[in-house]
Amino acid sequence: MSRVWTRDRRVVTAGGRQAAMATELDGEEETAAAAGKLTGSPQLSVEDDLREMAKNAAWSVSSYKPGNNVLSLRDDNLDTYWQSDGAQPHLVNIQFQKKVKLQLVILYVDFKLDESYTPSKISIRAGDGFHNLKEIKTVELMKPVGWVHISLSGNDPRETFINTFMLQVAILSNHLNGRDTHIRQIKIYGPRPNPVPLQPFHFTSQEFISYSTIR
Amino acid sequence: METLMVDSVQNSLRLFMHRNAIFFCERLCAEFPTELNLQLLATCYLQNGKAYCAYQILKGTSMPHSRYLFAMSCFQMNLLQEAEATLCPANEPNAEVPDGAAGHYLLGLIYRYIGRRGVAIEHLMQALAIDPLLWAAYDELCVLGAVEDANEYFSDMAAQHIQKQYLSESNSLNSSNGSEFNNGSSNMSVTFVDSIPRQSKQLLANNAREISSIPPSSAIAKVPASNSGTSNFSQFITPPAATQLSGVAPPPLCRNVHVSFNVANNDIATKSNNIAVQTPRRKLLDEGKLRKVSGRLFSDSVPRRSTRLSAEAIAVASSNATQITSNGNSHTSAKFLGGFSSSSSSSSKVNAASSRSLTFKKGHSWISESFDEGRRSEDFDDSRMENMATTSSYTSMSGDVRYLEQGKTIGDLAQDSRLISGAQELLCLLRTLGEGYWLSCSYRCQEALEVYLKLSEKQFNTGWVLSQVGRLHFELVDYYEADHFFSLARRVSPFILEGMDMYSTALYHMKEEMKLSYLAQELISVDRLSPQAWCALGNCYSMQKDYETALKIFQRAVQLDSRFVYAHTLCGHEYIALEDFENGIKCYQSALQIDQRHYNSWYGLGVVYLRQEKFEFAEHHLRKAYNINPQSSVLMCYLGMAQHALQRNEDALEMLERAIAADKQNPLPVYQKANILSLDRFDEALNVLEQLKESAPHESCVYALMGKIYKRLEVHEKAMFYFGLALDLKPPAADVATIKAAMEKLYLPDEMDDIL
Repeated sequence: MSRVWTRDRRVVTAGGRQAAMATELDGEEETAAAAGKLTGSPQLSVEDDLREMAKNAAWSVSSYKPGNNVLSLRDDNLDTYWQSDGAQPHLVNIQFQKKVKLQLVILYVDFKLDESYTPSKISIRAGDGFHNLKEIKTVELMKPVGWVHISLSGNDPRETFINTFMLQVAILSNHLNGRDTHIRQIKIYGPRPNPVPLQPFHFTSQEFISYSTIR
Repeated sequence: METLMVDSVQNSLRLFMHRNAIFFCERLCAEFPTELNLQLLATCYLQNGKAYCAYQILKGTSMPHSRYLFAMSCFQMNLLQEAEATLCPANEPNAEVPDGAAGHYLLGLIYRYIGRRGVAIEHLMQALAIDPLLWAAYDELCVLGAVEDANEYFSDMAAQHIQKQYLSESNSLNSSNGSEFNNGSSNMSVTFVDSIPRQSKQLLANNAREISSIPPSSAIAKVPASNSGTSNFSQFITPPAATQLSGVAPPPLCRNVHVSFNVANNDIATKSNNIAVQTPRRKLLDEGKLRKVSGRLFSDSVPRRSTRLSAEAIAVASSNATQITSNGNSHTSAKFLGGFSSSSSSSSKVNAASSRSLTFKKGHSWISESFDEGRRSEDFDDSRMENMATTSSYTSMSGDVRYLEQGKTIGDLAQDSRLISGAQELLCLLRTLGEGYWLSCSYRCQEALEVYLKLSEKQFNTGWVLSQVGRLHFELVDYYEADHFFSLARRVSPFILEGMDMYSTALYHMKEEMKLSYLAQELISVDRLSPQAWCALGNCYSMQKDYETALKIFQRAVQLDSRFVYAHTLCGHEYIALEDFENGIKCYQSALQIDQRHYNSWYGLGVVYLRQEKFEFAEHHLRKAYNINPQSSVLMCYLGMAQHALQRNEDALEMLERAIAADKQNPLPVYQKANILSLDRFDEALNVLEQLKESAPHESCVYALMGKIYKRLEVHEKAMFYFGLALDLKPPAADVATIKAAMEKLYLPDEMDDIL
């Protein structure tokens, strides 16, 4: 239940020029998929029991070009993007008001539009603050178009969520060795709290749920 | 010319041609700027929803009815302090409230929204005392939680009042006059003045009546003192009477003497009199006395009076009745004058009952509760022939006078009896409804259901009653039945809005997406500007977990009607779902400001504090909710949970037992009980859970808890088995993580594990 990203890219990137490129890159993509590199999906698919966690978080970036600042990362508009303006790695910092459980980081990137600005290697770090961030995940992208789902869970079911004050998304390198990067949207997901307080478990059946609250 | 204009205005108002009415009225006021005309203009504006206009033109007026209208516009503009000051001027602490029952009702509302509950209750009770058919006042009293027994409000006494009022109108002026006289208010004597001559005929006829008869001559002799007499009763008499009296010059002494002679001669048995009745009558009589002839003419118009506004008639009747019982007091008179309530349906019933519908058709301008005393004289002058039921319709006493003039005696008797029976029937109906309603406001749902079932089929199959029954089932957490009754209500009256917000919540609990969205769509198409429709729509979005949109929609509902409590509460719920506790608390508190007995808001606050782990606060708020609604098993369950959090496990278990007893179908208290027992009394806990397993076999948390207990007991196979069962039922991710973690650690010692 913790892995949510989709992997089949060939279908997604079909079409015209893409097809031609696809045949050429087919081999590459296959290796990419085999190597575990991510390529985005056009759909944002998140399970119902997860919700966006970062609405009340503090977002900051290491650098930005005027007109393409951090707001573009959160404006739900896929046409606006954040453009960095400095040395690598480019950082997006998300600081929460209290420790939160997180499961999923989802980025929207588009190789067709951004080409050399598209990130290719991303590292996700977590910790209490800037002083003790620890890397928890690294992923590589291969010409992604669409939403890239990055799960933060470990293999152990106990590690489905990470419990942290701060998250940092670091862009270590871009496609075609570009210096700066474009990211169009970032969303962070975590589990929903139990609507009934003080319960060890959620309620699943209709009988329990209908008696569980007064509205 | 003035008359013409007035008539035209009132005609337009009656036919809802507001623009015409306003235009003409403005011309009228320009031409003849009297206060009465200003009142008419204000009425036009108020009827058209333009309270701010009425506010402007009535500023500074002092006639009681003007003050009433001014207060009404202030109330609609939410200027509560001004409204209060108008109706209860600070420098006249003992002044009567304008317009009697309606004035008291308005004052009750004002005080309720200001927050002075005690005073509000006083005024509402007063309003009901004056006019027992003022259902709206009774409604408010129930909501405020001040009603203990419906019978005291809709008792047989009230029936007698109504009857008296009618009778007094319909030639039983004698009796009513008589009753009034008993207290020797000079007012009465005054009123008698005119009626006496006619009374003689009727007295004979009326002897059989139980209504108080002509006051003793002694009363009459007090005529000259009428004004002072009035003042004695000022505290009881509702303003209209008082003002009326003051406004009217006492009848000429000689007349009184004449009257007294007559009275003495007639020697009618007297009962306690409805002085009040007298007073309104007096006013009428004052006018009427100058027009005995016109009085006769009026009699012709009496049948036309049958139009509704019988509310007044009823008020009069009730006042009469009260007077008989009490010692005359102005109480009744107050009622009389004040009693124009809006209980048109009831009045219609009474009217129907009595052939002589004494309801005087109110002048259109005064269709609202207002009672335009001042107007009366003019009315008489101008519109005698019309059914200008001056609200003073009770002043319809004059009507009585007229009736007296007609000297209908035998016919009256028959009518009286019909009147009495009609009034009694009506009160019987109101008693049933009232009892059901106050029981449902006290959340004694089973009893209320039984009471409502006593209603006749015709009455039961109406939107209001069905909606109330639906609400009762909802409070009993029987959502299926609630759904049934609410949909019945919608079928019977497709435009019903009241109670539909509760219906949408019932559907929300049942997770009926389709029905809920259909309901929301329908409600919005019925009335886009009603808060209930938006509440239903918000519930739709909330059910789909789109809390932000739901919040926006609920805020819109609040904007549409900031006095609609439930919208505030729902806003609070959405804020909590979004984990914005501060705003949530604010919303709940504003809901409580409007209606202190809205237990959902108390519950909401309790849950917030539970989440924030402020357990003492949580217990306090949940207890408040529980005190208001002591039959809700969900509330008891939460209270138990709060007590458990406070480490008061004994109390918690007791409360949970009560919850289990209250509603056998609710699995939650059983589960909570098992939860508490699982800390140390493992076997008991397991027993409880075994039972629960039977009744709710598809609930993952039951198995998970059993697994946890077995893990504690170190019965590993069973623990594994139950954890596996729990996982099979597909709990959400967080639970899966917890359970799987527990499974992994099964063979490890039980360390400091928060969850398992």
